[in-house]
Amino acid sequence: MSKKGQYEKVLKGMKGSQEPSPPSPYSWKEAEPGSAGEKKTLFGLCRACMQGDCATLVHLEDGVVVKVEGNPGAPPNWGTLCPKGNAEIMGLYNPYRIKTPMIRTNPVKGLDVDPMWKEVTWDEALDYAAEGLRKVREKDPRGLVICEGWGQRDTILRRAFGHAFGTPNETGSHGPLCTVHYPSCLVHAGYPVAIVDLEHCQYHITMGRSLGPNFGVVPGMRRFSRAIARGMKLVVVDPRSSYEASKGEWVPIRPGTDLAFLLAMAHVMLHEIKVFDEWFLKNRTNAPYLITPQGEYCRDPDTHKPMMWDPIENRAKPYTAEFKEIALSGAYTVNGASCRTAFDLVKEEFAKYTPEWAEAITTVPPKTVRRLAKEFVEHARIGSFIEIDGFTFPFRPVSLNVERNVTNRRGGTYADFVGKIINLLVGNIEVPGGCLSCSFRGPIMRPTEDGTVTPDYEAIPKPFAFPPERATLQEFYPHQHTAPHMVLNSILYPEKCYLPYRLDAWLTVGGNPIRQNAQPEKYVEAFKKLSFAVTIAFHMDEPAILSDVLLPEHSALERLRVAPFYLQHQSIDDEVSGLKMIQLREPVPTLFNTKNVDDIFMELAERLGILYGEGGLYDHLNRAIDWVDKTDGLNMNAEWKLDINRKYTLDEIFDRQVRGWPYSNGKGLEDLRKKGYIEYWKPRKEFYLYYYHPGNQTRHPLYLMGLKQVGDRLRENLAKHNVSFPMIDDMEYVFDLYRPIPHWVESSEFRGPDRGYDLWAINWKTPYIANDAGNLTGNPWLAEIYAKDPWESVILLNPATAARKKLKDGEIVVVESRYGRIEGRLRISELFHPDAVGVGGSYGLGTCQSNPLNRLGPNFNALLSIDPITFDAVSGGQDTAPAVKVYRKEGAR
Amino acid sequence: MRYGMVIDLKRCVGCNSCTVACRAENGTPPGILYHRVEKYESGKYPAARMQFRPIPCMHCQEPACLEVCPTGATYRREDGIVLVDHNKCMGCRYCVLACPYQARHALRRINNYYGPAGRTPYEMLRQKDLDKGTAVKCDFCVDRLEKGRLPACVETCPSQARYFGDLDDPESEVSVLIAVHRGTVLREELGTKPSVYYING
Repeated sequence: MSKKGQYEKVLKGMKGSQEPSPPSPYSWKEAEPGSAGEKKTLFGLCRACMQGDCATLVHLEDGVVVKVEGNPGAPPNWGTLCPKGNAEIMGLYNPYRIKTPMIRTNPVKGLDVDPMWKEVTWDEALDYAAEGLRKVREKDPRGLVICEGWGQRDTILRRAFGHAFGTPNETGSHGPLCTVHYPSCLVHAGYPVAIVDLEHCQYHITMGRSLGPNFGVVPGMRRFSRAIARGMKLVVVDPRSSYEASKGEWVPIRPGTDLAFLLAMAHVMLHEIKVFDEWFLKNRTNAPYLITPQGEYCRDPDTHKPMMWDPIENRAKPYTAEFKEIALSGAYTVNGASCRTAFDLVKEEFAKYTPEWAEAITTVPPKTVRRLAKEFVEHARIGSFIEIDGFTFPFRPVSLNVERNVTNRRGGTYADFVGKIINLLVGNIEVPGGCLSCSFRGPIMRPTEDGTVTPDYEAIPKPFAFPPERATLQEFYPHQHTAPHMVLNSILYPEKCYLPYRLDAWLTVGGNPIRQNAQPEKYVEAFKKLSFAVTIAFHMDEPAILSDVLLPEHSALERLRVAPFYLQHQSIDDEVSGLKMIQLREPVPTLFNTKNVDDIFMELAERLGILYGEGGLYDHLNRAIDWVDKTDGLNMNAEWKLDINRKYTLDEIFDRQVRGWPYSNGKGLEDLRKKGYIEYWKPRKEFYLYYYHPGNQTRHPLYLMGLKQVGDRLRENLAKHNVSFPMIDDMEYVFDLYRPIPHWVESSEFRGPDRGYDLWAINWKTPYIANDAGNLTGNPWLAEIYAKDPWESVILLNPATAARKKLKDGEIVVVESRYGRIEGRLRISELFHPDAVGVGGSYGLGTCQSNPLNRLGPNFNALLSIDPITFDAVSGGQDTAPAVKVYRKEGAR
Repeated sequence: MRYGMVIDLKRCVGCNSCTVACRAENGTPPGILYHRVEKYESGKYPAARMQFRPIPCMHCQEPACLEVCPTGATYRREDGIVLVDHNKCMGCRYCVLACPYQARHALRRINNYYGPAGRTPYEMLRQKDLDKGTAVKCDFCVDRLEKGRLPACVETCPSQARYFGDLDDPESEVSVLIAVHRGTVLREELGTKPSVYYING
């Protein structure tokens, strides 16, 4: 059956069925009688993608939600809305939702095994869940894993619950394939991601990421279209000619080889073009720092500060001294040691990475690398300035940004760092036009004692302990992002992971690593080993069907939410660069016997005896600070902290958060209900972090001393405890990634062809599904369209590759990596590099009780691996471009 | 006053927000979408790119659908909007065949969005007045125009690629865009004189 036929079969209903649903215990809740004839509009907040800040209007008639549209008057989307937001009603009226609490009666677990659910009351379900969790807590609270994810971004109590419970093992399913954070956190204190200033940028190179259009993120799309319309040049280096590449220049590249491309581009800048922002390098980076033969900073004996060389005074001085001139290059003898500038060491390392060397790895023609480097440097306008709100900034309208399809493999952290070096060479970090981060805006780039940017967020190394305390093994991966794949290894191979306790229970809150991580059969195996699994469930997805008890939660439209305006991923421009805001979602009447996730957490906590008192949930909430937005987020501030000994409703907690918000000016939840948001505009100059530490007041690391120090300490700690790195025999395989100067390393998939795996599978998020929050894949309005989309839910191959393999458009093929295999319908496409196999979106797997749409399409994730050999050892990120072979499925029609 | 639309293909990124917004505005049953985005590839590797063409009803000045309609159910307003009076429509589907833009649909079967899993309260409310058997199509969101809003597809577009206004006014935004960017229509040779123009930024 063709792909179109497959989808049509599932989408079609019973013939002429205008009748109401067949009789069922799961009736839609009747609308309130008082709502008959009533028309009402509520303020909504979409949050179907990870940007999560589109303001909507939710229209009801007779108590039924009849329309969701963008709110024309409200930032940041001003009435515009992507297909996911426009289809949100189908997430509410989804008959495949979990409608009432249920407890499993069948002890056998599997994705295709009927749990034989028993419907129970909320009290029964909560008591049962609390009892199961209590047993784990009594034995060892570390035995509980809490797995969050994009499916549930509306809980404000999850973290506090985990702390009160006493488990350190909270992780997120969204992270392991998207470890894009650490280099930005180290180089410019930025989290979550580095972005581009689309208000001013004139030349942008983007790799392995989306600026907005690629996966339908509205504020990014708005800025993207404005930048392209005003003439910004866009270069997309990617194995796929994507939505965004189609609006600029597409530079095809072999999958998984971006590190080589970036090294070659940096080589051209350092060795051929040789035009840099010298002032920036000398004053705002550690490039001029003198480095000893041991790779350490050469330090002033008195002040202990790193030293630089003054060529006019002909001596080394601490960087804090007055300099007549600063040497960027040179070898100097200091206190008997023969030192060189960091800049020279980097340049020397990169001497071998010529475009000709890179071509054999990437297939990108050397001519192209040279041209892009030249264009990048030329457009950077080194030496120019711009005034914003009366403050003079360096103006560098270029940016090179990379994200997950570049970073996610062994060597990916290095690739991200080389991208930072490319940016630093033209001085564009945290200045108008250039490469910024989307973190909290304030003086977070303050210098350490060594003068470099204080590492923040994930660049703060997590402490070592042996045996490890955490199932995520952050003791061995001090800069890791989220790590359910590590937790999986800890469950399956506890001795190899040195875990001194047993993981016993798994609480799912919107995270589905079974479908959206790797090797799903291993996750199923792990779930079966656990003694207890609880899901705060939306639909019958993979974690739900493997659970012992389901606590059904509201759909997005039914959830009350007050959220701080989320820092803009991908890009920024003047539409929102000064904006601080809190947004409201007013809930629609609930349809089924569900609860708000935070009511569930409070109920569970109360039954466990961890809601009140010191160390309880409320106490932890009082003490928490928003991880991303810090003091600008919604925290429990000052007199608005909770009385930790009495119960609160969610409304009351939100009201206190609003009142305590630094920019609310005394307003509360009721005021927020008037307009749906409270806004506060800061001067735009405060968006650029240069503003807080201008001139030479801080320095970005070009020489990655932070990385080296963490690696050295990890090595010492392993030696001290006489242990090797978990699940990796050759320690140098790990420590090769902790050098202060990035260098070429091979990913685990690089030599695939030597083993008969001659292509590499790649994935991307799509505008219809993004992260697949709230079962978007199963949304029939979206499915009706993506079923007809030529590039969705198929396996894509370049025509020359297909011809070579004698494969025809439309036939069923198998894609096999060394870790898994999937099948799908082949589509031949000019949009792909000849070595790439395109398997986009989030399709396939599913369960025997899922929405049937969930079972359709190739599940890319099944091709990936949880073996640490395939990770980047620094970030813990898994390889997103596995080496594969493709062949016709025998016997298929 | 003659309503018309301009779609900027340079800005359009093929996301289908417009298609879904149209479904959300009109509540059409599965299989019936008044709007679609055609997606195709142009060029050969490595100079290949995606291209998109959003297609609403063209609200032609000389509509093929009107010409063939035997009952006069299809009519054209003074402001250029082409509508169907479902009370007069006999469901012959001649218009569906005649439209060169495949903009017309027949309400033959009204299935459930979620198929055998049941009919949602949304469908029960929004589709209760559907006249089965009749022809349906994009109406340029006449109800929204009356309230001073723009068509749903225009308002929702995150790339701001769509414009709407009075083609009879030479200084309206749409008229200026068409003049400056040499807007074209689809299948001009057929003489239907569409009111939807395409530009390339």
